Amino acid sequence: MKTLWGFIRKEFRQTLRDPRMRILLFLAPCVQLTIFGVALSTEAKNIRLSVVGGLSDTTLQEIHRKALASGWFIPARTSSQDPFMQIQNDEADAVMVTPVGGLDRSLGRGTGELQLLINATNVTRAQGIERYFSSIVRSLYEFKPPLSFDVRVLYNPAMRTALFLVPGVMSMLVCLITILLTSMSITREKELGTFETLIAAPVRPEEVILGKTVPFVLLGMSNIPLIVGVAMALFGMPLRGSLWLLLLSAFVFVCCTVGIGLFISTIARTQQQSMMGGFLYLFPSVLLSGMVFPVENMPWVLRVFSYINPLTYFIELLRNIMLKGGDARLIVFNILILSAMALLAITVSWRRFKTTLS
Amino acid sequence: MSAVQVKNLSVQFGDFFAVKDLSFSVEKGEVFGFLGANGAGKTTTIRVLCGLLLPSAGQASVCGLDVLSDAFEVKKKVGYMSQKFTLYDDLTVKENLDFTSALRKMEPEKFREQKEKLLKMIRFKSSEDILVRDLPGGIKQQVSLVAAVLHDPEIVFLDEPTAGVSPAFRQRFWKLIGGLAAEGKTVFVTTHYMDEAEQCGRIALMKSGELIALDSPQELKRNSFPDREPQEVSLEDVFIEQVEGG
Ligand SMILES: Nc1ncnc2c1ncn2[C@@H]1O[C@H](COP(=O)(O)OP(=O)(O)OP(=O)(O)O)[C@@H](O)[C@H]1O
Ligand SMILES: [Mg+2]
Repeated sequence: MKTLWGFIRKEFRQTLRDPRMRILLFLAPCVQLTIFGVALSTEAKNIRLSVVGGLSDTTLQEIHRKALASGWFIPARTSSQDPFMQIQNDEADAVMVTPVGGLDRSLGRGTGELQLLINATNVTRAQGIERYFSSIVRSLYEFKPPLSFDVRVLYNPAMRTALFLVPGVMSMLVCLITILLTSMSITREKELGTFETLIAAPVRPEEVILGKTVPFVLLGMSNIPLIVGVAMALFGMPLRGSLWLLLLSAFVFVCCTVGIGLFISTIARTQQQSMMGGFLYLFPSVLLSGMVFPVENMPWVLRVFSYINPLTYFIELLRNIMLKGGDARLIVFNILILSAMALLAITVSWRRFKTTLS
Repeated sequence: MSAVQVKNLSVQFGDFFAVKDLSFSVEKGEVFGFLGANGAGKTTTIRVLCGLLLPSAGQASVCGLDVLSDAFEVKKKVGYMSQKFTLYDDLTVKENLDFTSALRKMEPEKFREQKEKLLKMIRFKSSEDILVRDLPGGIKQQVSLVAAVLHDPEIVFLDEPTAGVSPAFRQRFWKLIGGLAAEGKTVFVTTHYMDEAEQCGRIALMKSGELIALDSPQELKRNSFPDREPQEVSLEDVFIEQVEGG
């Protein structure tokens, strides 16, 4: 107990005194989330609109004219008559496909359907395009428009939105910060030589492991309100579920990542190596977490990796708790899995940890 | 009972013997000098004796405890000031000593007593709230010594404690070593300075992991140069003759 308390005070002082660690803890989350926010909020302008099938109808001509007059759209210069090719070759952002026989004719039968293809590689832009179009069509008719759109969103059919991505960025930050903080604190001691003095004292491996876990779990947790706060303020992320469940989820996740940081530091000898180890771990785990690419769409080999990836479960927890209000079964399940992973990571590091030099 | 007893000790890193078939013993209360060129195996031997490195062959015991089977108990009895950094640069003197006492689970009463006594011994004048990195090198080494003997060990291992320190501070440091020996502590010290070696009770000379001579400074001089008066011979000559020559 005495030893643990000694460790907590020491690690807090050293971390908070180190400008690099202060930046990592307090500045990095704000900057990263802000950059992410700016990148997402770029307004859709100069949308290249093309028409396949000709502007033979008056209705179609009207829609096209209004769209260009709105200032959002510009005519696309296309080389192909295939709407898919136009989008694939990046000649157009949106393509109207005239129904066979013309729009006027199909409107004459009561309601008409106009197919609109949108490139959704950039989600926000695609959503903007759809909104502009609806408003243009609505302005054409006084009442409920007899015209409906058959919108085909290409390349991102699930329409992942900013709100969907923010929890991913949040958990990525938590992951990066805690892993680097923990592993670099240990490798720094190895590099400087203080580690040798530390294990020259009669301390058991579990005392050192605990002494290097608890302070960083606490420091990592102190970072959670900042990250959640910035996400809510910048992106209007809601918090529909319980704050306590959110904190509990964050706690098991942080235990997990601190455990991984410990593990990295049982392999790495220098701070540089542990930093590399941290990033080497982070990149694939972000890609395989369902943050951007849905896990369900992955080939099974990759899916296996996303199921053993703590990030997957934490992102799901954040999305569920913040956006949906929390589904009890999912929360219990994910928290249990994360706890098991945390236990595993810390136990493995503990078994690998030696109080002798090699 | 000897303070340190080493018998046929070897330490191997791969094919390379850092220490080879080493045997010697150190008596209680002795100031034992451990000399040798760079890479002779001094630090490696000390690490074994502090329970930090497992020997590949042979036995070593410290204060009657075997370093292989009783490493944890050995660590309680010894103080160690390593060749590298022993203090945290970014913590204050007070914070460093607090952490040492927490690591060693010292009683608050004993810690206060020891700290007061030792800081007085090194005549520490600056504020305890000064960051270690802001201390002059000589003082830093003295504070390291305080941290190493804070728990009042029976034996201290000092690995090149005066490397890179000014002559005045080296002299002061050896006064402190003398003080520790006077208290009955065993001091096991490595150095590259011959004037310091002169102040040891006995000296072990190491070469490529092997012990090549072990005696008092006087006897070493006599044995190395039998045809010269011991007063005329310096340890420097002995060292050059034994370690770098022959
Ligand atoms: N962990 C290790 N792995 C491999 N070789 C090692 C290891 N530790 C030490 N050595 C080698 O063992 C030899 C003895 O090293 P040691 O540090 O004991 O020498 P030393 O006498 O303390 O030298 P110095 O005066 O430079 O401090 C050196 O050649 C060193 O390279
Ligand atoms: Mg050495």
